[in-house]
Amino acid sequence: MSHDSSAFEIERFQWVGKKLGFYGSIFVIALVSVFPILWMLITSLKQPGNVVTFPVEYVPRNPTLENYRAAIEGAPFFRYLLNSAIVATGTAVLDVLLGSLAGYALSRLRFRFKLPVLLLILGTAMLPFIARLIPLFSLARSWGLLNSHLGLIIPYAAFQLPFAVWIFQAYFKELPDSLEEAGLMDGLSRIGVLFRIILPVSAPAMATAAIIVFIYAWNEFLFALTFMTEDSMRTITVGIALYQGEFQYPWGTISAAVFMSVIPLILFMLFFQRKVVEGLTATGKA
Amino acid sequence: MVDTAEAPSESPRREGSRRQNRLQRYRDLRFTEEELAVILLTPVVSFLLAVSFYPIFDTVIGSLHTGYVLEMDPREFVGLENYRSIYGSGPLLEQFLSGDGFWNALRVSLIYTFVSVPVELVLGLGLALLLNREFRGKYFAQAAILFPWAIPTVINARIWAWMFNGQYGVINDLLIRIGLLQQPFPFLARPDTALYSMLFITIWKTSSFMALILLAGLQSIPDHLYEAARMDGASRVRQFWDITLPLLKPTLLVALIFRTLPAFQAFGLPFGLTGGGPASATTTLVLFDHQTTFNRLNFGEGAATATIITLIALAIAMVYVGTLYEPEVR
Repeated sequence: MSHDSSAFEIERFQWVGKKLGFYGSIFVIALVSVFPILWMLITSLKQPGNVVTFPVEYVPRNPTLENYRAAIEGAPFFRYLLNSAIVATGTAVLDVLLGSLAGYALSRLRFRFKLPVLLLILGTAMLPFIARLIPLFSLARSWGLLNSHLGLIIPYAAFQLPFAVWIFQAYFKELPDSLEEAGLMDGLSRIGVLFRIILPVSAPAMATAAIIVFIYAWNEFLFALTFMTEDSMRTITVGIALYQGEFQYPWGTISAAVFMSVIPLILFMLFFQRKVVEGLTATGKA
Repeated sequence: MVDTAEAPSESPRREGSRRQNRLQRYRDLRFTEEELAVILLTPVVSFLLAVSFYPIFDTVIGSLHTGYVLEMDPREFVGLENYRSIYGSGPLLEQFLSGDGFWNALRVSLIYTFVSVPVELVLGLGLALLLNREFRGKYFAQAAILFPWAIPTVINARIWAWMFNGQYGVINDLLIRIGLLQQPFPFLARPDTALYSMLFITIWKTSSFMALILLAGLQSIPDHLYEAARMDGASRVRQFWDITLPLLKPTLLVALIFRTLPAFQAFGLPFGLTGGGPASATTTLVLFDHQTTFNRLNFGEGAATATIITLIALAIAMVYVGTLYEPEVR
């Protein structure tokens, strides 16, 4: 009897140990993942004089928003955020529009040269960005698109279009044929079927594609740096990257600026995480 | 009208809809499938030809000229002069191993790519295995783990530049506290440690992305395989080697190649972390190209470097297509 109960005890002990080990490792990994952002928050709340001390101060004494005030006064961060939002939204809309139409044709219509067309579209994803930078820069300049939102939306949309097409064609391929047939029998034209039946049921794919494209456009740096030479047109990534601050050790204000810039991303990830994961795994499945 | 004659071998499932289409055509003569496909695809294809293919072509042409963009310095054909000047002088192997400028950048990019991607793959697999079960708080854990991937690379670079700071950085403080260091170490001010730091940061950032792609692969492995293995008394480790790994191979390959091209084009991280220094120790190929073009205003050599980057990227892509392509597109 006592033997049994001690075996039970041991098992129970092991169970608790396993749970602890599992949650412990999850906790450590999560902490390592968010630590840099946490550190930005901690740094940004310090008194400006306490930012550059060694040993480092882990809990800000007399926390203050002084760094945030300095950051906001030092550079037009809200303007940067607005620019990023406009560019990222515009890119997402354009890619959803073009991607859904092309994805429909590639997944549900029969026509000649389908495979070459698909490979052509997907192949553009392999071309390095740096090799497209200068020619697109001179094109944008001659069309007056430098320092304009459209000047970034157009290249970004082209760069992410292969992924959008891929997401849509994968989604449309799974739809049952009966959906179209019913529409055709009811006397809809093929275009009617596309707009009245297929597109309305493709909201999940639209959301997935839009989110992946949005994050890309929000984060892009090389083209944003080159095409937006006026401070007021910079996106948030460029704004932060080039922000120097006014002091010798501007880390307090930089931290405040960085933390402000990632708040939208934090919210985005918390609300749309499932979609983000879906989008990533959809592009990952070849 | 055009497409009824061709495509003789159709799947039986499609046969019905084909008859339907023929019936349909009497009522709706507006577009055939092929016409509609042309209408839907023309904007996309012409857009990509203009914004993605034309620039590559223009870059290759530009690499054979001097004075590439600036009108004040008109284009002049110079043949392969730009390539010769990038190459420098000396035997190929010697240049590859110890040349500076382009060669140094090539080495940095190759080390960066072929060290970081495999490590990310292994760490990502570990993370994916950990996440591949239901537990309380999974949603938040997953959001936290995805965080590094969502932060813009160049902002991330600035964050870590501060954390790695040689005098006041929190990394130094932590390492001293756990006794690994006696005094602050200038990580980003020494060539070797600057490169290691950059590798560490990109691995930290991208492992979560790997984990997600691999997680999708893990979830597609049917449970009954594991059950059967358990019945046969196979250990956890055995199950991993005999079931998980072989079935995950296609996903592993996708993840591997999905990361290789972006890693090879790294720009934001060295730009924001070190600016390529010290002594070019963290200057990747794309950063080198950017500096050639915008700091030294040598558009010809910039275009030549971009052309070489394109060729290497295409070679990597060939491996991709060769190993993954399965002709199942209908």
